[in-house]
This record gives sequence, structure tokens and C-alpha cells, in this order.
Amino acid sequence: MRLSAVLWYAAVTLLLNAGFLLLSGLVSVLYADRALFPLLYSALIAALFGFFILVFLPRSIDITPKEGLAIVVSSWLVSCMVGVLPYVLWGGEFTVTNAWFESVSGYTTTGSSILNEIEALPRGLLFWRSATHFIGGIGIIVFALAVLPALQVSGLILYNAESSEWSPRDFHHSARRSVEVLFKIYVSLTVLEASMLLVCGMDLFDAITTSFGTIATGGFSPRQASIAAYNSVAVEITVIVFMFLAGIHFGLLFLAVRGNVKGILTSSPVRYYGAALVVGCVVVAASVCGGNPENPFDWIRHAVFQVVSIGTSTGFATADSSSWPALARLILIFLTFLCACAGSTSGGIKVDRMVVFLKAVVRRLRELHHPKAVIPIRMSGATVEENVALASVAYIALYVCIVFLSACVLAGTGVDALSAFTGSAATMGNVGPGLGSVGSTSTFAHIPTVGKWVLSFTMLLGRLEIYGVLIFLTPGMWRR
Amino acid sequence: MKLRGKILSGFFVLTLMLLIAGVWSIYQLTSIGASVQQLLDDNYRSIEAADKMLGALEREDSAVLLLLLGRWEEGREVLVSADSEFEAALQVAEGNVTIPGEADLIEEIREAHGRYEELWARPIVDTPREGNLTWYFQDTHRAFLAAKGAVSALKQLNEESLYRTASDLKNRAGRAVVPGTVASLSALIFSILFAYFVDRLMITPIVQITRAAEEFARAQKPFALTVATHDEIEKLASAVRNLCASVGNEKGWDR
Repeated sequence: MRLSAVLWYAAVTLLLNAGFLLLSGLVSVLYADRALFPLLYSALIAALFGFFILVFLPRSIDITPKEGLAIVVSSWLVSCMVGVLPYVLWGGEFTVTNAWFESVSGYTTTGSSILNEIEALPRGLLFWRSATHFIGGIGIIVFALAVLPALQVSGLILYNAESSEWSPRDFHHSARRSVEVLFKIYVSLTVLEASMLLVCGMDLFDAITTSFGTIATGGFSPRQASIAAYNSVAVEITVIVFMFLAGIHFGLLFLAVRGNVKGILTSSPVRYYGAALVVGCVVVAASVCGGNPENPFDWIRHAVFQVVSIGTSTGFATADSSSWPALARLILIFLTFLCACAGSTSGGIKVDRMVVFLKAVVRRLRELHHPKAVIPIRMSGATVEENVALASVAYIALYVCIVFLSACVLAGTGVDALSAFTGSAATMGNVGPGLGSVGSTSTFAHIPTVGKWVLSFTMLLGRLEIYGVLIFLTPGMWRR
Repeated sequence: MKLRGKILSGFFVLTLMLLIAGVWSIYQLTSIGASVQQLLDDNYRSIEAADKMLGALEREDSAVLLLLLGRWEEGREVLVSADSEFEAALQVAEGNVTIPGEADLIEEIREAHGRYEELWARPIVDTPREGNLTWYFQDTHRAFLAAKGAVSALKQLNEESLYRTASDLKNRAGRAVVPGTVASLSALIFSILFAYFVDRLMITPIVQITRAAEEFARAQKPFALTVATHDEIEKLASAVRNLCASVGNEKGWDR
């Protein structure tokens, strides 16, 4: 494997981050706050490293799959390291551990935060915090590919490494075109939501940063109380709609925009995703209203918002779901594991895998009745290959094991069982809030240092679909 | 980019990072030094003045006791000296009002000391007050305690402010280390990266070219090395390849 190829793309990532740091610095200038120095200094360091590597190294072509994987993982790691700089230079609540946690949470679009006083941060730094969601949402590599000249083979390999194995790759475009489509949909949704939030009465800064958090299904809000701070039904409905859209495969959204709505309507994952959210909303609303007969409209409103927020792995909040009845909380825990569709910015196990898993279980039951029957697993009209079905089952098992292990480590540091388990599930699924002491109105500030590093690692595992990170850490990966 | 450009850019970046680290450290040290000086000016001077006032009050009280015992000469000498010292210290405190509430406390000190002074300024020796401990404890000593309390309050106010400011300074010093540390670490990482690039992209290709040329000369092994660094080393490899091919052709060696 060529380290130079990995470094070259890491350099492009550095420059991308430097650009956004400069943009955040501009926001700092606009609001005349004190975050200008940390942002500019960080931008300078990232830019110096990026430019120097590009000057020294020749451009790499014909990237191998192994190199593609290394590029994706190293670009994420490099971005997270760059993201730490402005926080550490600012100080305040940001120790090195807290800065790393917040940076990883931003880029992996998790949305878990260590900040107890978000609104005390300067606007420039808040903008940078939300910008890490924007960058992470589309994937750093996709950004790099969107601005570089076409590298047909290398582009395909990098796209494959970045996207989930479940993202339908063939919606009638080449790999580079696919990346351009994703990018256009992503930016369009962000701009559209920001515009609608402005119409709903949000100020420009909040509208932009909130839309960054929505479309990336991240959840970083410029307000400590999250979306609850606005106390506006119009804002909540707008955010719900865009969270839902952000949970659908962007390729299907593109086809729908081009007039082919059939793709979304006939897609099994989308139908299951929609059904899961509807059932979740009904059950949670009934459970919550049952325990609070007064003001049913408010409870329904909060139930729907929380279900869609958790079910899309966004993590925005309008209420403290930690105090809800047990059934409602269990549904939210299930949605924390499940999340939305592959090919979206959502995290979690993903509906696609869960559907294959369930169909595999049904098939097994049928095979017990008819041992000699040949029963293929179908999804959206296509047959799912046996190895793909097996990979889904293995992934889900590994996913649950990692959540359990992480919860054990957290519990070992003194965190209570509910917070440890839901916190681990929430970070692994890149959802953000869990329950208990890490609930939707709480933060992760009180988690011990070891716990924060473990949760940061699970965030990366979740965002890179586990195998990417694990393979990256194996010695065989780096042999020539 | 040419080899010279690559090497110079590397050293430029390294120099810039070290310069930033150095300049930032100097700036922060200077800033913290100025803050420490301001801390001394704002708070410590007032604390020192308060201590002097307390000492002066104690000596005034001793002088009053001497007068009560009928020792006029000694008592008067101590009283005059102490009063003078108190007034000087009070003027220092008055000229150093920097904290909210400090001005009110100084006014209170002046009033309390004024009431105390009225009591001991009246003749004591050869009057009914000489030896009158009841008068001392009920009037004079109480006025002394009131003045002392006001001065102690001023001292406490400045000590609390000193502690807060010192804590802030400590936090600032801690944070001031960060940019310098970041720049130093960046320079270190960059140095390692630069060394790696020089080794991989300059030294290694030159060694490979040398080796290949020696193999060609010794064993007529074809010069098949390709270098893709887009600089003079690539041109060198190309030139040596062409030379070897030309020599091989002339001598009829297999390529």
C-alpha cells in the first residue's frame, strides 16, 4: 500500500477543513467575537500541512481498494484532529479529551456534546461546531471527489469505501456523477431547510447552523435547549420534515426531484423506514399521553419530534425523554439501534440490514417447515445474495457486541447502567442523546475521561460501519 | 515543483511554525507579566496600606493606654507618630480604589478613625479620664475596634480580589501555553513528515538510480527504474535510462 497516496488525499481533506475554518473565522469577524484567533490559527496549521504535502507528493491514480479504505479512515481521523484545534485553543470547557470528543461527535454527525453552556461560546466557534456536521455528513472524501478532476477508477474505489455496502450504487450514473448527485442533494436540502427556518422566524445564524445539523442528521444546535429553545410548532414541523428526508437514500431523492417518485414509493427500505417511524410515533405518543392526560397536543408533538429525531439518528430534542414511560423509552432505544436508510447521512444498523435480517429469520422459519424449499430473500424486487444476507447478520451481531462492550467499560468507570448502555448505543449509532444522565436535555460532560475516549471510538466505528476502522488497525493493512 | 522549491517550502513552513510558537510564547509571557504587575498595583498595594493602618491603630491604642497611665510624653510621641502613619496609609488606599465597594469602605474607615481620634485627641492626663478604665473600655476601645473592623474589611476585600485575579491569571497562563504547545507539536510532526518525504522522495530514488546504474555497468542488467517525482530526480532517472539504453545499443547488450 502506498502511504503517499493516503497522505495526498489526507492533504486535500486538510485543505477542505482549512477552508471551513476560514469561513468560521469570517463569522467571527462578522460577530466581532473572540474566536477569531483560534479559528485562524487552526486554519493556518491545517493549510500549511495540506499545501506542503500537495507540493511534495505527486497526485495518486489507480488507487487500490486497500488504499481507498485507508484514505477514508485516515481522512476522518485527520479531520477529527484538525477539529480539535480551535476548541483546545479556545479553552473554557474544552480540555483535550473534551475537544476530541466534541470534534469526533461533530464529524461523525453524532451530536453528543460535553458543553454545559453552549450559548456562552462565541458565534464563530458555534459555526465551526456545526460546520463539522456539514463536512461529516456528506463524507470528507465525497467532498474531495466533488472538486477534483475526474479520477474514474480511484473515484469509484473511494466512493465504495465511504458509502455503506447497502447504498444502491447503480442509479444510472458513473461513480463521479453519483458523488455529484449526492453533493447537490445535500446542499440543496441544507439551503432549502435554512430558508424555511428563516420563514418560520429563526434568525439567519440559527437557521444555517440548525440546517447543518438536520441534513447531516447530526444534532448540534446553537442552543443549549436544542429545538425546544424556539418553542415553535412551525420550526418543529420543518425540522421533522427535513430530518425525515435526510434519512432517505439521497439517490432516491434525486430521482424523485427528477420526476421519478416511483423509486421512493417502491423502495422496501424506505417503506419500512416510514412504517417504523409511524408506528413509533403512535406507540410513543399513546404511551406518553396515557401518563399525562392534560395537554395531549403538546405531548403528541414532543413524541413525534423525538421519535423522528432518534429514528433518523439526528438527536435534536424538544423534551426530556428520559422521564417518559418505560414503553416510550424502549421504543426510542430500539430506534437508536435501527435508524434510517443506507445512502443517507443517518447512522445506526440501518433499515436495509434490519429488513434483510428479518427476512432471513422468516425464511429460516419457512425452511424449518419445508426443508427442501428454495426461498430467496428479495428486497425492492431484487434478490439479496446469500453472502450479503450473512454479512448483515454478522454486522448486527458485531454491532450489538460492541455496544455491550462499550457499556461495560462505561459502567466500570462508575456510570449507571441505563446511561452506559444507551450512551453507548447512541454514540455507536451516531444518534447523540441516550437516556438517564446522558438524555436529550443532558450532556456527556460528566462521563469520566476513559469513557469519553471509548465513546469517541464507538462514534468512529459506527460512522465507518465498523469494518473500516477495524481493518485499518490490523497490521496486514499496511503491508506493502 | 522543482527540488529546490520543495526543500525550500519545507524549511519555510517549519520556520513559520517555529516563529509562530516563539512569538506567541513571548507575547503571552509579556502579557502575563503585565497582568501580574497590575495585580500588584491594584490589590497588593491596598493590602499593604491596610496592614500599615492596622499597625498604626494598634500603636494608637497602646498610646492611649500609656496616657491613661499618666505617661504623657511617651504616649503623645507614639500617638503622633501612629496617627501620621495611619493618615499616610489611608491616603495610599484612597489613591488606589480599583474594586467596586472599596471607596465606600475607605469612607467608612475615615469616619470611624475620625470618631476614634475625637476621643483620644481630648486631654487625658491630669483629667478625670486618667486611669479611668471604664471610659477606656466603653468609649475609646469600642471606637478603636470599629476603626480596626473597617480597615480589616478593606483588607479582606482586596485579598479576595487578589485571589480571584490570581486564579484568573493561573487559568490564563494555562491557556497561554496551549497555542505555543500546538505550534511546537505541529512543528515536530512537520519535521517528521519532512524527513519522511526527503527520505522517500529524494534519497531513496537517488540510491535506486545509483544501484540500477551500477547493476547495468557490472552485469549489463537493463536500467528499468521509473521515478515519478515530477522534479529533477525524475529527469535524472530518465537521462540515465536513456544513456544506458544508448550504451546498450552500441555494445549490443540485451535490454
